[in-house]
Amino acid sequence: MHDHDHDHDHDHDHGHDHDHDGHHHPRPASEIELRARALEALLVEKGLVSSDAIDAVIDRYVNDVGPQNGARVVARAWTDPAYRDRLLSDGTAAIGELGYAGEEGHTMVVVENAPDVHNVIVCTLCSCYPWPVLGLPPTWYKSAPYRARVVAEPRAVLQEFGVEVPETTEIRVWDSTAEVRYLVLPMRPEGTEGLAEEELAQLVSRDSMIGTGLPQTPAAR
Amino acid sequence: MSGDALVATLDLPRANGELVFDEPWQARALGMGVVTIEALGIGAVEWRDALADAITRHGYDPQEDPASAYYAAWVDALERLVAAHEH
Repeated sequence: MHDHDHDHDHDHDHGHDHDHDGHHHPRPASEIELRARALEALLVEKGLVSSDAIDAVIDRYVNDVGPQNGARVVARAWTDPAYRDRLLSDGTAAIGELGYAGEEGHTMVVVENAPDVHNVIVCTLCSCYPWPVLGLPPTWYKSAPYRARVVAEPRAVLQEFGVEVPETTEIRVWDSTAEVRYLVLPMRPEGTEGLAEEELAQLVSRDSMIGTGLPQTPAAR
Repeated sequence: MSGDALVATLDLPRANGELVFDEPWQARALGMGVVTIEALGIGAVEWRDALADAITRHGYDPQEDPASAYYAAWVDALERLVAAHEH
């Protein structure tokens, strides 16, 4: 994330300052760092991995691209009614249209929030999570208190996340399984009528797609 | 099992729910692990056992950054599994 970017820049800033051994590093690499580099070189040489594939994983995890994929899906659904319909009727295929494919055998089900329904996702058994669209789950998602309490007292749990759901709104809790992963399609915030798809995507937080948050409003940004 | 799905079950070093790395090579080691786990068809149990053994070998030093310790063990486990899968 930010640390990564910072360190990266740091390396480059010092790039002109060559060490005697020719490395572009401000200090000598640790033994374990050298072992990691040697292992990557070996794996690439064997043809088992490519540096591009590793870069893609880092992008998805470290640079937090995971939830951005989901945000693009949500923003498309907000701006394209035909896409929204496809998303709600066959989540796997519609998410695949944008190039985000999950593991084979997984079905993605998208559940839509409305004024009278608020959806929230959980995995009561373990930590099943729609990772192709959300990246890696946050720690609390895997915690026993969240997994148990969001089912027993969803309204109280959402309140702790800062989400006030009106008494008249039904809360639906969706329990993920190895086969079925859920994604929440939040309601488009008011005051976003003039925004383009890309601007809308920036309002969509990871938690709003889990159901433990709401999209930002343009004013709050 | 895909590398992503496997990694989603692990307790990676985090702060406030977000992944943390003490140095950039650690993020690269994570990425390398995910791709390699998938390429070699390493299962969840096999990986967790290898990682637990490596963490035990590494030992605990209160002075050491937790992410540094974790990813040092991560590289160690990966090296051994790659060597084991060569045979």
